Amino acid sequence: MSIDDRTDEVLDETLDAEWMDQRTGWRGVWNGIFLRMIPKVNWSFTLGSATLFVVVNQFITGILLTIYYVPSPQDAYDTVLYITNELPAGWLIRGMHHWGATAMVALAILHMLRVIYYGAYKFPREVTWISGVMLLLITFGFGFTGYLLPWDQKAYWATTVGTKILEVTPVVGESLLRIARGGDQLSAVTLSRFFGIHVWVLPAVLLSILGIHLYLVIRIGISAPAKREE
Amino acid sequence: MDELDQAAPDRAAESEALPPDDEDVEEGVDRRKFLARGTLSIGVVLAAGWTVPAAAYVFGPARKSDTTEEWVSLGAANKVPVGEPTLFKTTVVRATGWVTSEEEIAVYVLTEDGRTYTGLSNVCTHLGCRVRWVDDSDGFFCPCHNAVFNKDGSVATGPPPRALDAFELKVEDGQLFVKLEV
Repeated sequence: MSIDDRTDEVLDETLDAEWMDQRTGWRGVWNGIFLRMIPKVNWSFTLGSATLFVVVNQFITGILLTIYYVPSPQDAYDTVLYITNELPAGWLIRGMHHWGATAMVALAILHMLRVIYYGAYKFPREVTWISGVMLLLITFGFGFTGYLLPWDQKAYWATTVGTKILEVTPVVGESLLRIARGGDQLSAVTLSRFFGIHVWVLPAVLLSILGIHLYLVIRIGISAPAKREE
Repeated sequence: MDELDQAAPDRAAESEALPPDDEDVEEGVDRRKFLARGTLSIGVVLAAGWTVPAAAYVFGPARKSDTTEEWVSLGAANKVPVGEPTLFKTTVVRATGWVTSEEEIAVYVLTEDGRTYTGLSNVCTHLGCRVRWVDDSDGFFCPCHNAVFNKDGSVATGPPPRALDAFELKVEDGQLFVKLEV
């Protein structure tokens, strides 16, 4: 087959999966991610995917909440009430984000327990484990910063107490407290920086480390449950 | 198992040759196809679970009108002297999204017979200054550009492009009400 024939053949093809694969190589990526071989495992091995699913939910509902939420002491609580009571399905979007946050922490911890139970953190998956622990800490960061954003009494005092814990750090405690609050007291500055951390800093860090985590899971493959010796 | 469940060979060949209808799909689906379709279906349901509420949530404020018409009380109708426009003031609360603001509304109420009432806005139609009824000159006077409106609101002299805006009024149990867009 001459080069001209092959070119003609390529040009004749319509925009379909084959056409796209020749130009992007998507099929190899797809197969590598979704059609990779895995050992025979049980349902506890789906906890990581379940956590990932909730992360997707948090991103979608979180982005939707920022359409109306305003992180200022004058507006924060009013906008949350507006979202919950006035907007169609606002209660649902907020509820999904609220309960998704709890589910994310719970599922991440269950996922971690599964990894510990099966010894899946051992060679060659140490880096996967370390990135996973970092993801859990980021998840706690999300929970802590997100809790303040409704700016109600519970949020205000929980963050007052939560930031106060930083103060017991030796030597730099007082500085840490002031950095966390953006001053001596909880204020507009605190709300604004918690919002910025919650919607920009943490998502950026989460996505980066999540990328590494998933890359390693696919590259190394998941661990098989240990088998009884014959 | 799947092979054993298949009907006679001629039936299978027939179902391959013809475009499958629902019944044939049930028989022709192998385990791999079934799981792929199941996964896809679940994915579609989940995607709908996000996008349908999201669309309602995002488009909600656009579908609802910001303003509604409302009858607002101005006070006792017998406070209006016959033949002389009298200024009534009231405040309305406007809510836009989560922000509420109070706006003062002023209405010149006029009655010529003590039974029927007409209402005029005191906002000049030229550049929005507040006009004032001057009894001696028998007209509404605007201080900004010396415009004068007649008693019925029509332009007497000056730059305004049109008559003063009129309000719809009604009297119930001796109380004056004005129809406002809130």
